[in-house]
Amino acid sequence: MQLVIKDLIKEYANGVRALNNINLTINKGMFGLLGPNGAGKSTLMRTIAALQDPDSGTIHLGDIDCIQQKNELRKVLGYLPQDFGFYPKVNALTLLEHFAVLKGITNKKERREIVDALLQQTNLFEVRKRNVSEYSGGMRQRFGIAQALLGNPKLVIVDEPTAGLDPAERNRFHNVLSEIGEQVIVILSTHIVDDVKTLCNQMVIMNRGTILLESTPREAVTLVQEKIWRMAIEKDQLADYKTQFQVISQYISEGKLNIHVFAEERPDAAFEQVDATLEDVYFSSINKK
Amino acid sequence: MFKEIFLFELKGSLRKPATYIYFSVFFLVTFFIGLAVSGVFETASSDSNQVVNSAYAVTSILLGTNILFSLLVSIMLISVVATAIQKDYQYNIHPFFFTKPIAKADYFFGRFGSVFLVAIFIITGLVLGYFTGNLFGMGEPQMGPFSFVNYAQPFLLFPVLNLFVFAVIFFSLTTYTRGTMAAYIVALIFMVFQFMAQSISSNIDNKELAAIIEPTGLYAFNFITEYWTPDEKNTKLIPLTDVILYNRLLWLGIAIGICILSFARFHFSQFLEPFNLFKRKAQKETSLPPAIFSLADIPAVTQDFSSKANRYQLWWIAKLELQKIISSKFFLILCLLMIGMVVLILNLRDQVFASSTYLVTYQMIDILSGGIGLFLIIFIIFYAGNTVWREREVKTDEMIGSTAVPNSILFFSKLLGLTLAMGLVYFIAAIAGILTQLYVGFYQIDLFQYLVFILTGLAIQIVFIAFCLSIQVYTGNKYFGFFLCLLPIVILPIIYGVLEWNVALADFNSEGVRTSYSDLKGYGGAFAIWFFYRGYWFSIIAFLCLIALLLFPRGKEKPLANRWKLSSAMFTPSYKAMMATAVVAAIGIGLFIFYQTRVAVPYYSPEERQEIAANMEKKYSKYKKLEQPRIVAVKLDADMFTKSRSFKAKGSYTLKNNSSIPIDTLYLEYTGGKKSAFAYPKFEPSQPFTLISNDSIYGVKLVKLNQPLLPGDSLSLLFTMEYAPRGIFDKVSSSIEHNGTFINYSFLPTIGYNANGELMENKARKKYKLPARDRMAKMDDSLARKNNILSSNADWIRFAITLSTDEGQMAVAPGYLQKDWVENGRHYYQYEMDSPMLNFYSMLSGDYQVKRDQWKGVNIEIYYQKGHDYNLDRMLKATKQSLNYYTTNFGPYQHRQFRILEFPSAASYAQSFPNTISFAESIGFISKIDSGPEAIDLPFYVTAHEMAHQWWGHQVAEAAVQGSGFLSESLSQYSALMVMEKEYGIHSMKKFLKKEMDSYLLGRTTEGKGELPLMLCENQQYIHYRKGSVVMYAIKDLIGEDSLNAAIRKYLNNNKFKGPLYPNAIELVNNIKEVTPDSLQYAITDMLEKITLYENYVKALNFKELKDKTYEVTLTVGSAKYYSDSIGRQTIAVVNDYMDVGIFTENKDKTKVKERPLILQRIKMDKPEKTFTYIVKDKPYSAGIDPYLKLIDRTPANNSYQFGKVPKIPNLETGRKKKEVVSAKKN
Repeated sequence: MQLVIKDLIKEYANGVRALNNINLTINKGMFGLLGPNGAGKSTLMRTIAALQDPDSGTIHLGDIDCIQQKNELRKVLGYLPQDFGFYPKVNALTLLEHFAVLKGITNKKERREIVDALLQQTNLFEVRKRNVSEYSGGMRQRFGIAQALLGNPKLVIVDEPTAGLDPAERNRFHNVLSEIGEQVIVILSTHIVDDVKTLCNQMVIMNRGTILLESTPREAVTLVQEKIWRMAIEKDQLADYKTQFQVISQYISEGKLNIHVFAEERPDAAFEQVDATLEDVYFSSINKK
Repeated sequence: MFKEIFLFELKGSLRKPATYIYFSVFFLVTFFIGLAVSGVFETASSDSNQVVNSAYAVTSILLGTNILFSLLVSIMLISVVATAIQKDYQYNIHPFFFTKPIAKADYFFGRFGSVFLVAIFIITGLVLGYFTGNLFGMGEPQMGPFSFVNYAQPFLLFPVLNLFVFAVIFFSLTTYTRGTMAAYIVALIFMVFQFMAQSISSNIDNKELAAIIEPTGLYAFNFITEYWTPDEKNTKLIPLTDVILYNRLLWLGIAIGICILSFARFHFSQFLEPFNLFKRKAQKETSLPPAIFSLADIPAVTQDFSSKANRYQLWWIAKLELQKIISSKFFLILCLLMIGMVVLILNLRDQVFASSTYLVTYQMIDILSGGIGLFLIIFIIFYAGNTVWREREVKTDEMIGSTAVPNSILFFSKLLGLTLAMGLVYFIAAIAGILTQLYVGFYQIDLFQYLVFILTGLAIQIVFIAFCLSIQVYTGNKYFGFFLCLLPIVILPIIYGVLEWNVALADFNSEGVRTSYSDLKGYGGAFAIWFFYRGYWFSIIAFLCLIALLLFPRGKEKPLANRWKLSSAMFTPSYKAMMATAVVAAIGIGLFIFYQTRVAVPYYSPEERQEIAANMEKKYSKYKKLEQPRIVAVKLDADMFTKSRSFKAKGSYTLKNNSSIPIDTLYLEYTGGKKSAFAYPKFEPSQPFTLISNDSIYGVKLVKLNQPLLPGDSLSLLFTMEYAPRGIFDKVSSSIEHNGTFINYSFLPTIGYNANGELMENKARKKYKLPARDRMAKMDDSLARKNNILSSNADWIRFAITLSTDEGQMAVAPGYLQKDWVENGRHYYQYEMDSPMLNFYSMLSGDYQVKRDQWKGVNIEIYYQKGHDYNLDRMLKATKQSLNYYTTNFGPYQHRQFRILEFPSAASYAQSFPNTISFAESIGFISKIDSGPEAIDLPFYVTAHEMAHQWWGHQVAEAAVQGSGFLSESLSQYSALMVMEKEYGIHSMKKFLKKEMDSYLLGRTTEGKGELPLMLCENQQYIHYRKGSVVMYAIKDLIGEDSLNAAIRKYLNNNKFKGPLYPNAIELVNNIKEVTPDSLQYAITDMLEKITLYENYVKALNFKELKDKTYEVTLTVGSAKYYSDSIGRQTIAVVNDYMDVGIFTENKDKTKVKERPLILQRIKMDKPEKTFTYIVKDKPYSAGIDPYLKLIDRTPANNSYQFGKVPKIPNLETGRKKKEVVSAKKN
């Protein structure tokens, strides 16, 4: 099954073009959607999840026309939004059962089984009687993923799932996701380059509503390999360098300001070539002049 | 920083459209009212002595009496003011503020100041709207001179100050609890508080307390102005003294106190730890080891998306909604408040002397409906808003939105959940009602009525729930949604009211006519039409719901157009067909209702009625002086059909020419009009005649006799008539009931022009170019004196009737039963009267029980509904005592029989017909009489009063001129008072008379044409009943019972069964003067011939104990006397009058009245103030002047004081100030 997005355009009332002619074909596996805040990732996710309508364009999941047949899509969709919460004073067991009913699991026995299994798999079984609103960040995310997996989703969309998690929790979360990715299409949106690097077999970089790059993480790096140059400068020189070179990122190291510059050739003798990373791909994409 | 915060917030609020919408709503409401009272709309006109732009009138509008309206203001306030700080938390932006160097005061007062200013701006709409509306009425008679201060002073004194009080409270609460729920609860508590104030103040002695503590100042305003005459209302500003001052200062102080307190306690850090009214133990967050994830371990499940699964989901979510509602504290609080309210109403009801009844089931249900109605509205509005917004607020909306549940399930599960909760509330209310009935010892509980209460209640509330849910779906802001939900129930009725629109179809969620329940007639068949109204509203609401489903906020789209697009896949042909069906059903049922209520039956607006009356007068008043033969005998065959609720009659009136000229033209009158339910196959004289005209619109037939009727000659007027309701809607309002029918002579055709049908309101007469007319003919109008007050076409008649009804019921009419028989399923009763009676008779039918008794050969019979035997003995006793007193003191009773018949409780009066009294269910039969020395025995009193009419009205017929009410009603009141005094003792009179005086003083404040002295009263009930009681009792007290009765007896004997010219009040007043000593003649003049008011007061009082265990009391009292004109302008008079001073001790015996007189002495107040010294044996408790309130006094409270209390000295007016008189010009 494939998710095929064609010519997707969405413009908000305030004139912001959140989706600017998006074309994508997504196969089974983990698909990374990388971009800074405000790039249009969430709009794209919600549009795929049939929570928003595009101004024009089409989305198909296999035979399902996701815009015309929203309900067909919803039957096979698992969705974890970026910003979510739960009813206060409701425990995890009740809440997950509630979501199970909403997902059409009306057989009581089956529902009990899958709810228990998911709670166990997300390791929330022991605290299933605890109110979800009192869960820690990681537990909440795990509960979120549990509800997304209710039923038999063919398409799982997770929007910035690791934001706010500590590194260990994040790591483990990645394991969960990658296993799901072996079965179905998983779209993961993030602004953290590492997430994509470790998880995704397919990725796009997106900014200002436009796809800047579509590739696999490995191939993407080869695109900029030998074209990233580093130099340590004084802080007040930054503006000068920015006008002269295509500065894609800067960071402080040992009290000096390091800049990375994208260039086909060594721009200057003072620059040294660095081993390109996905991060450089990302920054060179979104900071391209 | 203050300025920046203040301005920033202010600009933000001023950018919001809601601010202007709130303002516009308030503006428009009062603008409409302003226009209406200024006479801009084409509505029926009524006469009034009051101008509409006085400070009094403006205050009345601003304070309003509508508690729902103040709720509207509260909701506005909570949305505008309360969240000024809380929203920073809600949107998580508080760290931005608290990390900046902002002074606490700048932040706190900056925020509050600006939102308060915005709230003031919004509320200004109220006064500006009314002002602008008034401008359109410039030059109209109901407009006084324009004065800016008339608007400004009430506005500052009430709305602005109240706004401050409420704003501070709501703001503080919301800031502390970080939620608006506490504010809503307080708003509710304030509402209950207002009811409580009403409950407290219904006891006259507690009015002042209620006035001081009630938060809006309404009761203080009412307390000060309750007896204001039209003149005072027109000219005075709101006096900032006495209770108004105390009340305003009290609440200003409370508000400032709360303000200071909440500022002092406010800390920025507070946001980290919210104050919680219901603190729970904080649960510790725990982090668990992470997931061990393997998809392989997840069992496969079947997902069911069928409609069966949808139904499962519907109930599942509804159950969850219900759980959420009933587990919330708000629900518990609402239920408690509701129960509190019911208790308050129960309490209130017991204190109003005219309506204390046994707690029969329909009364209990009335109380429940009244008590919970307001809460249900709030309940629904609040929960509808919360439930629609909940998913978005807690941010589960996207997760739920991405599941395959249809919008309809998400929406209707909320509707179902709320409906179930509502059902639970009704159930709790019913249980509470039943328990209350049991608690007060009433065991005849009718469970069926409770079932009807619950089901009809739910059928109403479902519509409102669906409406509120739909509104919340459409709107982009919850709080604004709350406000919108209230509009149709608050604003529409006000607008319809001022426009006199009576369109049940546009009346939001209307049930149509729902006649009140009565044990006699049940629901009166109203359910037949109830279903149509429900069907109509269900269809409308179904359409709104279908729209709401398309706009359901499922995704993240905000604009309605986008939401529509998102759901557009639902908008299938079959969906469109459903919407079309709803529209067609609404229009179809609507048209049917319209046809039934407007087309099939005659319908006229109040204004059209006035126009018809005017046209009829223009066309036919020329026949007013046309000499007509008089009805001397009535013979009827009448049939009442209680199933089809129709009526048939065949009759013959014997007419005799009592005049001195031959009569050739007969003016015959019947119920006319287009589409009339009445038909008259025959209505003509027995002699040969020529029809001149037959005007079926006005119901006037003119015939010319071929042979003129010579003086002294007679002829018969024969008629047959049929009355049948026109359609099922009309049937509900038929005068013929299933059980308990009570109709009278006016149901039948008659002869002669009836001037009583003429337009009375002079303002309206002017509009239709008719000359102004008097309310009643002058006392010495000899033409008017040819007619008695009860009939204009007959004197004393012979009467015989054969009245039939359906088998199983009894039919009763005046006269004595000759025989009765059953034929073809109908029961016939033949009655005949053997003594002269007036052309004034009743016809009744019902399934009655009968209780019989005797008094000296007079048969006493009470016809009552089975089970209503609570007060039969009191009625019998009253009948006997009355017969005893009246025959002893006035003269013999003219009949051998006396019957009391119960009729259904939509009305609450009793009416006296010859040997027959119709007595409403609610005022006598189910009345509950308190125990205790001051209890007023209502059935006893009413029976005695109606019995007295057998003399005053049925032995002496009064002329149809001014003062007729004095002769019939005041004399009946006096007669009943004397019977009561004999039965219950002198001290039991005090409470009754105090109520009567209160009613009189209240009645005169709303007089539209002009107050008149008692002997000249023109059918003014507050005068002939209320003032009549007080004055006649005072005269009796002054000149003695025997003297007064002798005067009355002389009047009776001189006029018994006398025909024209009928007596006027001059004769009786002269008789009274004859028996009055010279020294007291002034009192008769003051009380009967003038409008006289006293201001009697205690100036100082104290006592000291003497050595011999006696007490020396020093009492200084004052008295002032005023004469009032017809609109209440007073002139001071010299007091040289006799009145009582009294000294009282506390009665230890609790079963007797509280105070026992030690001294009660008649003194002459020949100086404005006098001091008296007495030696008394017992310890004095209180003292005063005119302590029994025999004289009419606007401040009865200061007549007596307890020792130790400091008397309040009244502000005595020294007379009329010479200034321009502002009043409604008379037209």
